[in-house]
Amino acid sequence: MIIGWAVALVALGSLLASLKPGGRAAAAGEPLDPAKLQRPEQLAGPITVWSWNVAAKGLMSTREGFNRRYPNIDVTVEMSGTNLQARFLLSLSSGTAGPDVMQLQGHEAARYTATGRLTDLTAVAAKYKDRFPPAAWANCVHDGRVYAIPWDIGPCAVFYKRDLLQRYGVDPESIETWDDFIAAGKQVRERSGGQTKMLPLSPTNIALVYEMLLQQLGGQVFDDEGRIAVASETSRRVMDLIRRMREAGICANVDEFSHEWMGGFNGDHIATYPGAVWLGGTMKDTAGVYSGNKARWGVFKLPAFERGGRRTSNKGGSVLSIPDQTPNKEAAWAFIEYALCTVEGQLTQYAKFDLFPAYLPALEDPFFQQPDPFYDNQKTRALFAAGVHGLPLLHRTQDWVEAQNYSGQAFTMWDTRHEPTGPMLETLSRKLQRRLGRKAAPEDATSATAAGDQSAGAMRNAHAGTSGSAATSGSDSTSAGDSTSTGDSTGASRNADAGASESDSAGASVAAAAPAGGESR
Amino acid sequence: MTTVSAPQPAAPAPRPAGGFSAPPPAPAASVYQRPGLWLRMKKHRHFYFFVAPFFVLFGLFGLYPLVFSLFLSFVKWDGLTPMRWVGLGNFSVMLDDEILLTSLWNTLVIGMLYIPPMLALAFLLALALNTSWLRARAILRASIFLPCVTPMVVIAIVFGLLLSAEHGLLNHALSYVGLGPVAWLNSVEWSKPSIALLVIWRWTGYNMVLMLAGLQGISADYYEAASVDGATRWRAMWHVTLPLMRPTFVFCMILSLLGTVYMFDEVFVLTKGGPGTSSTNFGLYLFNLSFNDFRFGYASCVAYTVSVGVLIVSLVLNRFRHGHGSDA
Repeated sequence: MIIGWAVALVALGSLLASLKPGGRAAAAGEPLDPAKLQRPEQLAGPITVWSWNVAAKGLMSTREGFNRRYPNIDVTVEMSGTNLQARFLLSLSSGTAGPDVMQLQGHEAARYTATGRLTDLTAVAAKYKDRFPPAAWANCVHDGRVYAIPWDIGPCAVFYKRDLLQRYGVDPESIETWDDFIAAGKQVRERSGGQTKMLPLSPTNIALVYEMLLQQLGGQVFDDEGRIAVASETSRRVMDLIRRMREAGICANVDEFSHEWMGGFNGDHIATYPGAVWLGGTMKDTAGVYSGNKARWGVFKLPAFERGGRRTSNKGGSVLSIPDQTPNKEAAWAFIEYALCTVEGQLTQYAKFDLFPAYLPALEDPFFQQPDPFYDNQKTRALFAAGVHGLPLLHRTQDWVEAQNYSGQAFTMWDTRHEPTGPMLETLSRKLQRRLGRKAAPEDATSATAAGDQSAGAMRNAHAGTSGSAATSGSDSTSAGDSTSTGDSTGASRNADAGASESDSAGASVAAAAPAGGESR
Repeated sequence: MTTVSAPQPAAPAPRPAGGFSAPPPAPAASVYQRPGLWLRMKKHRHFYFFVAPFFVLFGLFGLYPLVFSLFLSFVKWDGLTPMRWVGLGNFSVMLDDEILLTSLWNTLVIGMLYIPPMLALAFLLALALNTSWLRARAILRASIFLPCVTPMVVIAIVFGLLLSAEHGLLNHALSYVGLGPVAWLNSVEWSKPSIALLVIWRWTGYNMVLMLAGLQGISADYYEAASVDGATRWRAMWHVTLPLMRPTFVFCMILSLLGTVYMFDEVFVLTKGGPGTSSTNFGLYLFNLSFNDFRFGYASCVAYTVSVGVLIVSLVLNRFRHGHGSDA
């Protein structure tokens, strides 16, 4: 009997020991040692990467090249799929059972970089700062320390079905502005007898489109000090455009990444997909799975808000990071460095899975001048690369995901109940202020009462702007442009916005020290 | 069989002489003392050993989270950085939380939309399956129960395609009757009914099985007695079946209410709480607070407060089950 109790006690004891927060791997929390990186052959051991979908396949494709340099590191990419974020959070919180390398989406990286639970990569990664677009690098930095490396970015354009637009008499090259786009959409709808819609845009994913269009105009959700800036004139222009698209009857009520959305890649129901470059990877990956005729795809530049305006934006994009609890930080960094900070690693992923390199030197490779057979040999790679250097920076905060949730809810209600735009944005701004504990940005239209608060000082969690002076100065000029335009007549505000986007892209391209010189216009 | 009497309760066991409250005869010598707790435990250690696994597991995975969550109600914690004690701060935030109110309201509406039809349907199906003339009973019973054991992933895909606004099968069917396309999952008005529809489809079978067990637990003697007294089938239903089924109804009701408050996967796979917050129910709101917003302290606070409310409602409902329990 006593033996039975002893066994039970030992079992319980070991269980409790494993639950104890201190029971982590021995090397956890130790800083990354750059000296160990000097001898690639001595770095060894298995490392696990958590990633998903096409991105995971992209990483897998780099293993061969990686093992030529680091023969003794065995990389496993786990495509863990749903609820990856919740699982990652739990493993960070418990200090065990996490990956060695973790994929985070650019917009949610800030919530992890601020916690101190990711490995500080500054010692080995700071030298790469100028080789990534400032907009992407900003997602990886907190308080001047580097915690992640940009992986891919999502330059935007419009994917269209050649045969459909041809059938309904639309010349894609003639579409220069969103007004042209809407007019073409109406033409497609009328000539197809209502069977073909121009684009998928359902009330439930307006928030994603909003972000893309807002970044195209150089607008912000949070200003550089983390204050709420959604009720700006720029915001209003974006929402007005979305409303015009919705009311023109050219939108299919299809959610992004739903089955109908994927199914629409081949059918006749949806003529174009405005989106980021990775969409092409998803198409190539899934189009073969669905039966029926294969569509012939082409790409044209994102329509501008007005003639001569910026014709690109960013949507999505991820970063790779190393949890601080992993024992094998050097091997993990070696993999990230090869996959993301070499032309070879990035181009492998781009060539096979359309993960657009955030690593700027990769864009100068001759590969970008080659045609892509999937798009009838159109030179789409150069098209996407053209706008990268001028991409405006979007300030991310730790509570970005929560804010996105509230915005999404407000936008959906705004669309389904046909609420007026101005009051909706003001209500949203107040809601964000209250729920997130932040102040309104001074140029915010709602802050007429709180205007005296302009000297309120830096917000607690504002950190996105700390990445580099060049990047922040670019966005400063944006907010200055907005503040002059607030409340004025629309003509004046348009001028101000155009001015803002010009000065902004100029500042950003200086910061990127871009030799490729591809301005979007 | 001309006279049938209702079954009599068994005769009470004869009581020992000396009255009900007589203590057991004390041992002759009054030096006897009850052995201490530790001694008694030691004596019965085998039994304790055999029931230990449950208590150990319950302590680790039941009691500990419960207590920890109560503690979390008073802190601010994102799961990663150190906790910060805020006292009753979370509770005061809750007083001004309009999304919580919306989610509770949605929970109530979804419950009202699905519980009455679901229980009625389950009862009718159980009645049908309880008749003697029905053939292929096992297959019918299994097929009605099947949705309840179907994986949620499959349900999500099938219902997503059925209820789609653009090319959904349901809208296609409606178009033959001349009814316009309904944006089942994309409109504020229809998102809650769509979820209720899914819940009814999924859980009717489960309730039907419970009710079938209840029906089969009613002795045939009652019906025989009723028919002797000249009751029609209809009156027998009203005066025999329904009263005797009340404990089952209340039980199903409590289960459904609890299921409504903590419902999650149906909403998550179908609408994710949208459009807007029109179908965000309490379970989904808790999930969003925790795993979308990383506000574990506040989420615990909300969960605890609502749980106390649910507990009170359940206790009140339970009184109905046992309140006039003489005929149960």
